[in-house]
Amino acid sequence: MIRFAIGLLFLLLGSGSQAVSKHYLPGTLEGSIHIWGVADYPVIEPLLQQFQKSVSDVDVHYWEFGTKELEARLRTYPDDMPDLVMSPAMDLQFKLVNDGFARTYQSSVTEALPNWTTWRNEIYAFAFEPIVMVINTDILGGIALPRSREQLLNLVREKGPLLQGKMGLSDIERVGLGYLTWFHDSQQSRTYGRLLEAFGSHHAQLYPNSREMLDALRKGEIFIAYNLVGSYALEWSRRYPWIEPIMPTDYTSVVLRTAFIPAQAQRAELGSEFLDYLLSEGQQYMAQNVGLIPIVEGIEGTNSQEALKRRSHGIFRPIPFGLPLLVQTDKAKRSIILDEWRAAMTSDHKSK
Amino acid sequence: MSKGLSIKRQLFVMTVLVLCVINGIAIWGANLYAERAAKLSFDRLLHGAALQIAESINLLDGRVVIDLPVSAFETLALAPSDRAYYAVTRLDTKEVLTGYDNLPSRFIFPQSVSADLGAEAPMYMEAPFYGEATRFIRVVKRLIEADQMVDVEIVIGQTTVARLQLADEMGGMVIRFLISFFVVTLALLMFGIWRVLRPLKLLKKAIEARSSTELTPLNTAVPTEIQPLIEAMNFFMAQLANTLERLKRFTGEAAHQLRTPLAGLNLQAQNALDEPDPIARKRQLNDIIESSALLSETVNHLLNEATLAHRMQSEVFRSLNLHTLVQDVCRSLVVWALQRDVEIAYLGNAEHKIRGDDVALTQMLRNLIENAVKYSPEGSSVEINLTESSAGLILTVSDQGSGIRDKDKQHVFERFYRGQHNQTMGSGIGLSIAKEVAEHHKAVLTLEDNHPTGLIIKVTFPQEATV
Repeated sequence: MIRFAIGLLFLLLGSGSQAVSKHYLPGTLEGSIHIWGVADYPVIEPLLQQFQKSVSDVDVHYWEFGTKELEARLRTYPDDMPDLVMSPAMDLQFKLVNDGFARTYQSSVTEALPNWTTWRNEIYAFAFEPIVMVINTDILGGIALPRSREQLLNLVREKGPLLQGKMGLSDIERVGLGYLTWFHDSQQSRTYGRLLEAFGSHHAQLYPNSREMLDALRKGEIFIAYNLVGSYALEWSRRYPWIEPIMPTDYTSVVLRTAFIPAQAQRAELGSEFLDYLLSEGQQYMAQNVGLIPIVEGIEGTNSQEALKRRSHGIFRPIPFGLPLLVQTDKAKRSIILDEWRAAMTSDHKSK
Repeated sequence: MSKGLSIKRQLFVMTVLVLCVINGIAIWGANLYAERAAKLSFDRLLHGAALQIAESINLLDGRVVIDLPVSAFETLALAPSDRAYYAVTRLDTKEVLTGYDNLPSRFIFPQSVSADLGAEAPMYMEAPFYGEATRFIRVVKRLIEADQMVDVEIVIGQTTVARLQLADEMGGMVIRFLISFFVVTLALLMFGIWRVLRPLKLLKKAIEARSSTELTPLNTAVPTEIQPLIEAMNFFMAQLANTLERLKRFTGEAAHQLRTPLAGLNLQAQNALDEPDPIARKRQLNDIIESSALLSETVNHLLNEATLAHRMQSEVFRSLNLHTLVQDVCRSLVVWALQRDVEIAYLGNAEHKIRGDDVALTQMLRNLIENAVKYSPEGSSVEINLTESSAGLILTVSDQGSGIRDKDKQHVFERFYRGQHNQTMGSGIGLSIAKEVAEHHKAVLTLEDNHPTGLIIKVTFPQEATV
């Protein structure tokens, strides 16, 4: 009865929020695993199918959320939890784990992982996401492409009028990943202030997600997109050769996609089976067949870290996984960052 | 080996017990200390983080602005696997400005003594949070801008995994150290015990190696604590040797002293048997009686001496009254002396007590008095006196007999010595026994001439022998 009520509530919530899309892969075995994630279903689907094929052919439910919706959902209904949560929003994921939403899990697989990819054996990084600039080479073809943030600033200075309204950014007020990477920039380098000013004065376009931004870039609506998720950008660049992802050579931010088994998971053993798969065999499969970059080094494949390292890149600076991430979820800090952001993004509009 | 307690085992057990107690106390103390140290160091991290956060809070146009420093959380992250929570609250409105809104508030913290909020010391407390033991710190900062004043409270909580780990690590280190300390100490002490007890083993071997008749002193090197034991053993063996020596001498002397008169008796008896004249035979038989009386006296003396010799080695002195002793002896001899027409006169009246052996002293007195009576002419008297002088207690026995010539004086105390002109019958042992008894009592026995004729035997008991 209670379960039914929860299910109904769920349905209502699901219909009310367009951010959730539910997917279902039937299996032949008894049982089902529920996975909630942020990754686009087409990206994650091959991984889920491979799990059914090589580990356990149970029903797989994959619900796709936005990062914030996912977090809000978990916090609002703490009694209704999936068996695995996957998200690249490190700050939100970290806070959930800090607040006791995850259960400890250890296995021979997790013990083989490097220390920086886990915290308290409760949450594990499974994918490596370099944050890139993406450039439409068709339009900017004539000039040397900016390889670093400094070069990007130079380009803006030189070709200012050309780039008016032609640069794209995630709307950090709405996009969790956008805020995460932007905050990381603010911590990393002195160029942050000048970048903010440059984007503001040149009317950078703000997008609610990577897909829309890449689409705009493909169509030539914008020439340069800043701070995009690397795996998507690489995927798109394969399809549309005129767009090129660039890992800034001053430093390349890295976001980690993380997974944890909720404390209240109903089928935690399936969750841990999937986690083990994700961190071992799945890594190999990811490198070759899925548009995600595995966290484990030394794997060959089009999406591997090894392949990334062969491209020009800066020092990989993963966003540190630990208590400092709490600052990124702090509302006071957020309002300071957003105030700066809004001031930069709107002041010039006014003056114009 | 034997059923007695082994010193080695006792020492071992005591050592282990003492070490266990010491180590137990040390481990307990170390754990206590480790916990304190870990608590203190991680409390400092908490405090540091709280101060950094406090530093980043300012009042700007009446608004509280909080620019959380990442470094504060990096400080907390020094405990790498601990969760952390924080909150900044306005104290006047109780509004949680940022962070977790479900942290313990000031009402839960132990109340601070200081009423002045600005000077409040950090407060700590431990409470479960999200199901895990968590250490909280509360720091208050007073924000001042122009005429405005706002107090904000910063609360940080951190789980206690790292501090427990550190305490365990430190405790573990101490325990490992203590275990090795225990083993090393025990080994050293066992070696020490073996070293100390080795002389006893050597002593035992030295004694075992001896023949049953060897009674020379042991001279095995032993610790001073065992030296008295060796001395006692040596003393005992010396006594044993002495006794053996006496016994040998006594047996030899007795054999000689008994054989000769017995042979004489035998001869006299033969003669008497062959004597046809009844008058002469009667005289000879009287001689035999006299000889056998002498022989029995000799036997008595020998037996007395043996008894005394034994007593003098084993009997312990006790306090006795020499005056009554002399009186008793005189009384017992007076009849016997009168039969010989000799008077015994005791002139002493000093009630003096000395430390001595009454049986031996009685024997000495008897011998001296009997001797004096024997050598006294009929109708004379033997005077006995007991006086006190600066030299000590002096006992004199004087007779009016023929005395002893000077050249014999040095020999009369030898056993079986008899002066050349001695006509009286005697065993020759009496005086020698008397001298031994006197010496045993540390008294000096001297001979003096009596006037006009006779002998004075003087026994001087030194002052220290008196009580």
